[in-house]
Amino acid sequence: MSPFEYLRIALEALASNKIRSFLTMLGVIIGVASVIMLVSIGEGAKTYIRTELMGIGSNLLIITPGKTETSGMGHPPSGGVHKLTIEDLQALEKRAPALAGLTPMVVAGAPVKYGNHSRDVLVIGTDEKFEDIRNLHVEIGSFLGKGDIEAHRKVAVIGRTVKKELFREASPLGRTVKIGETTFRIIGIMERKGTTLGIDIDDLVFIPVDTAQDIFDQDGLTQILAQVVNENAIERAKDQIRQVLVRRHAGEEDFTMITQQAMLSTAQSILSTFTYVLGGIASISLLVGGIGIMNIMLVSVRERTREIGLRKAIGAAQRDILIQFVIEAITLSMIGGIVGILLGAGIAYGAKAAFPVVPVDITGWSIATAFTFAVLVGVFFGIYPATKAARLNPIDALRYE
Amino acid sequence: MAATPLIQLQDVTKVYVTGQIRYEVLKQISIEIESAEYVAISGASGSGKSTLLHIIGCLDTPTSGSYRLKGEEVSRKGDVELARIRNQTFGFVFQSFNLLGRYTITDNVALPMVYRGIARRARTEKAKTLLTRVGLSGFFGHRPSELSGGMQQRVAIARALANDPTVLFADEPTGNLDTKTGLDIIRLFGELNAEGTTVMVVSHDLRVAQHAGRVITLEDGRIIDDRRHAAAEPAETRTP
Repeated sequence: MSPFEYLRIALEALASNKIRSFLTMLGVIIGVASVIMLVSIGEGAKTYIRTELMGIGSNLLIITPGKTETSGMGHPPSGGVHKLTIEDLQALEKRAPALAGLTPMVVAGAPVKYGNHSRDVLVIGTDEKFEDIRNLHVEIGSFLGKGDIEAHRKVAVIGRTVKKELFREASPLGRTVKIGETTFRIIGIMERKGTTLGIDIDDLVFIPVDTAQDIFDQDGLTQILAQVVNENAIERAKDQIRQVLVRRHAGEEDFTMITQQAMLSTAQSILSTFTYVLGGIASISLLVGGIGIMNIMLVSVRERTREIGLRKAIGAAQRDILIQFVIEAITLSMIGGIVGILLGAGIAYGAKAAFPVVPVDITGWSIATAFTFAVLVGVFFGIYPATKAARLNPIDALRYE
Repeated sequence: MAATPLIQLQDVTKVYVTGQIRYEVLKQISIEIESAEYVAISGASGSGKSTLLHIIGCLDTPTSGSYRLKGEEVSRKGDVELARIRNQTFGFVFQSFNLLGRYTITDNVALPMVYRGIARRARTEKAKTLLTRVGLSGFFGHRPSELSGGMQQRVAIARALANDPTVLFADEPTGNLDTKTGLDIIRLFGELNAEGTTVMVVSHDLRVAQHAGRVITLEDGRIIDDRRHAAAEPAETRTP
């Protein structure tokens, strides 16, 4: 008997009880659709984080004051924590050849005023190298220049949102705003960037680093942003930074270096776990769908006892009956799997279309896994009822009422 | 008469054991049936006649004894071989027709040919020929529920003939039919026998015994009577 005949018999049997077949499939449909949907969201989040992290520049290394242990409880600092200073940065510029560039950052929140308009923003004190290292560029006017830094000029570059909130349609170039109590002249407007890692890049104001230290009364830096020459030099760069700074900080390693790669892999591994957990939870519903298949197959075998007896009497071997019922179960799970994939992918794309913020990434592996799992569920939960059918004694089966 | 009989039973017993109770349905049955015979098996209910038919029809297996079909020992054959025998050598007709309600009668008749691996077009054609043979040429697309009992039993007979069996078995084929319809079915068996098919019928119906060339009577699992007689009308037309 050809596989096609078995399939025909299975389809005829399923078609003769359409509502029941559909309801049985529904379990698998919901299971597969939720696996696809949840894994898509997890994968989408991963892609989102990767793009965001890569977008902040390449081969970045962030140095922050204070020692943070990434594992274990860490040890309490034995002496006072040294601040990171412009001098530290200059020493690194001279003695850490694995670094292609360094830029300081002093970060503080402050109100920005223009006329009657006022807005609380994040002010970043930095220097001219920030633009390239951080991969954020000016659109109109110019960024902070070397001269501005050296001369301690009170100039500012503002983000798109700040511009819109304070100036509406007017051009802000050359106008003055007050940051805290100090007056700044605006020399540039940043290009629109949106939100990166939870920070609205368009809602920032950039001023020279020294000026920022003055007006916020800080002698240290919030962090130093360093760019490594290439990705293979990251470990070398960390060693060089450690050597230079430990000597300058009286033998204490009282600072922390975070690489872009480390941030990425931490985020990725958390999100992978998250994806697997979501997929696992969704798989439970697929398993429940499988039990539904087994349940209905058992009912079906019982209902069709006489049919099985007759088929045996007219020449079906045990093997034929077994294959017939397994194929029926697989057909249910397979159609359920296909509809589930379409439904899951449809909802995922729909969500993306309706809410572009929701990161959704439908991956081939999640579709393949969900489908394979669905078919295996069909085989697994179909075998028992099918074996039961195949082993029926034809005489007893024919007499079954 | 051929050297090896078509069917040869030697000391066949069938014992059912349910818990502590051991029930001997067939006791030391030995019979031989030749090709193209028309055999009626009669006896009171519980005499073991259906069990005997099922064992000969390979639907059931004997507890002990030897069953040779065309000289070959059947009790040693596996499930696949037995299925092939039921499919190609035997045809069955049951008291309750056992037609599949979701198929048309043509597909019902074609069913044994599915298990034989015959292509769809060929089996549909054969099924239609057989339905015509049993007088149902106008009903190919009907479902069993749309037909009368007698017509349904004709469909079942057509189905039993699908793979041109050597032996046609019938278990109380007229049990669910009225007198007139029953007689038509009995006549049909006679005709098929006259065409060369071996027929074995288990029946209470005395008219069956009248048509058969040989009547085997069972009582409490033993053969108490086995007589051949020159039967009435159709059996006489039988070719020797």
